[in-house]
Amino acid sequence: MIEAALPGAEVEVSDETGGGDHLRANVSAPQFEGLSRLDQHRLVKAAVKERFDDGTIHALSVKTRVSG
Amino acid sequence: MADAELKQKVEGLIAANPVLLFMKGTPEMPRCGFSMRVIQVLDSMDVEYGAIDVLPALQPLREVTTEISDWQTFPQLYVNGELLGGADIVEEMFDSGELAEALGVDQPEAVSVPAADPPAQSPPLQIE
Repeated sequence: MIEAALPGAEVEVSDETGGGDHLRANVSAPQFEGLSRLDQHRLVKAAVKERFDDGTIHALSVKTRVSG
Repeated sequence: MADAELKQKVEGLIAANPVLLFMKGTPEMPRCGFSMRVIQVLDSMDVEYGAIDVLPALQPLREVTTEISDWQTFPQLYVNGELLGGADIVEEMFDSGELAEALGVDQPEAVSVPAADPPAQSPPLQIE
């Protein structure tokens, strides 16, 4: 989902608890260039919003990096 | 649409408290791991902060913070009226020293180790 929203992004998602609903995402994307950390996180959260809304994910840790 | 009265209250609190944390639970008893992580960071920095437990009004407050700062999840740390971030960003900024700079304090020497004796902090604020 994150890759679909941010073409060219490299995404690594890991399961924090083994329960599948507490995830950690390391995202490197060219789109982050020039954005504040807050805005980078906003992009990632917006990409997975649906999964939060339907309850698939309860918590997501995000770490972002500019790539490209 | 967020509740206008609540939004006004929240904006007032953010303006009145140089360091303000919206969290799940209280600093003494955080009810979420992310909130606890931010508390540990703040407590290690010897900084006075206000804390608001969002759990009694989670959804209305979510709507308010979405309008104020386009951020839906808690915890949220505000410094000098601006959203700094949630737990991930606060920890990243702590590790890099940016948080100490934003708070105008010295970077603690023992990185990431919460103080055994938390410094004095202002009492939790309540939204009525």
